[in-house]
Amino acid sequence: MAEPKLFDCSVVTPERMVIECEARFVALPAHDGEVGVLSQRAPMLTRLDVGPLRIEQGDGDTESFFIDGGFAEMVGNRLTVLTESAVAREDLTREGAEALMTQARGMEGYDDASHAARQRAMRKARAQLRMLRR
Amino acid sequence: MANRRLLVKRRKAVRNIRKITRTMQLIATARFQAAHNAAVSRRPYTDKLAELTAGIAGAMGELEHPLMKVPEKEERRALVVLTSMRGLCGAFNANLLRTAIEELDRQAEKDVDSEVSMVGGKGVAYFNFLDRPMAEEITHISDLPSFDEVEPIASALIDRFSRGEIDAVDVAYTKFISTGRQRPVIERLLPLTQLVEGAEGDEDGRQVEYEFSPSPEELLDELLPATVRIRLFQAFTDAAVSEQVARMVAMKAATDAAQDMIKRLTREYNRARQTQITLELLDIVGGANALE
Repeated sequence: MAEPKLFDCSVVTPERMVIECEARFVALPAHDGEVGVLSQRAPMLTRLDVGPLRIEQGDGDTESFFIDGGFAEMVGNRLTVLTESAVAREDLTREGAEALMTQARGMEGYDDASHAARQRAMRKARAQLRMLRR
Repeated sequence: MANRRLLVKRRKAVRNIRKITRTMQLIATARFQAAHNAAVSRRPYTDKLAELTAGIAGAMGELEHPLMKVPEKEERRALVVLTSMRGLCGAFNANLLRTAIEELDRQAEKDVDSEVSMVGGKGVAYFNFLDRPMAEEITHISDLPSFDEVEPIASALIDRFSRGEIDAVDVAYTKFISTGRQRPVIERLLPLTQLVEGAEGDEDGRQVEYEFSPSPEELLDELLPATVRIRLFQAFTDAAVSEQVARMVAMKAATDAAQDMIKRLTREYNRARQTQITLELLDIVGGANALE
């Protein structure tokens, strides 16, 4: 079997570089659905939604993160994911996600802005719960 | 005799103070290193975000966005002042507050209404002392602020700017230039100006043809607020690093001063002891002479 083609992948938050590695496949939670990225993909700039980010590394390990929006850029065989928060799959807990959900349910949603904030919080909590079920 | 005991007592007190200031200096050094490392690891995000904005700017040509619109007349603006939570950091807060107050007075002359968002207990205390109004007092930020702590402050400012409640947002903080140099500065946060420092292409000077999803305009809607948030975050980080440097320097000066003081007190003590011995000797010699 031919060697899988690899590309550079990094996940960056405002606070630190979360991961920098060689990957053979990355699944991104784009704003309009999941996007898979392989080596030599055409240059792309896309907005991300809340959801799971999966990186299949060159050595066969798979890393999963829960990311909270942001952007992904693929250029020159290098994928960069910019997000304001990235939590490793192992660090997600059922209690944390449920607490988030309860908090979201308790938010007020009378006008447009607060309603949107409430919806956002709910979506985030739901996405975390979904990720935990898998 | 009483004088000598007093000197011993004082020297002991100064020694204790030196011990404390030296410990504080060591702590500040460790904190500075941690803050500096954090500041360095925070840079990639900022750089990459600027790169993305440049990429979009290249694709769109002229950039236009509500967050970039300069209001015709500046009437109300917000000034965020980043002081420290704790004291004992030399002139760190004094320098910054002086700069901030000069700016406020200058704006007041131009009939611009400034509302102050004061971050840090030290600044709050000083403005209360001066009886200057503050629109907001934020005193729950940690030594090395995390993004989660800064994000709500930035988002609130962006909200109010886009609703037109304020015409501009500035931030006053102590910029970290090097370990030897930190300068209080006032930077404009909103409207966003100088977003792209000459949009450049890749190495061969060619623009990358991106596949945008969604459209560049919509991406910009997300990118610009993210840029504002990260800029404010950067200011917080810089202020945190500068504060630790200032504390390090102040505590080093205090330790050195204590050292000098101990030297002086020791000399005074020795002199007092010698005087006493000489006096006693004179007494004995005087007594012996009288017997002869």
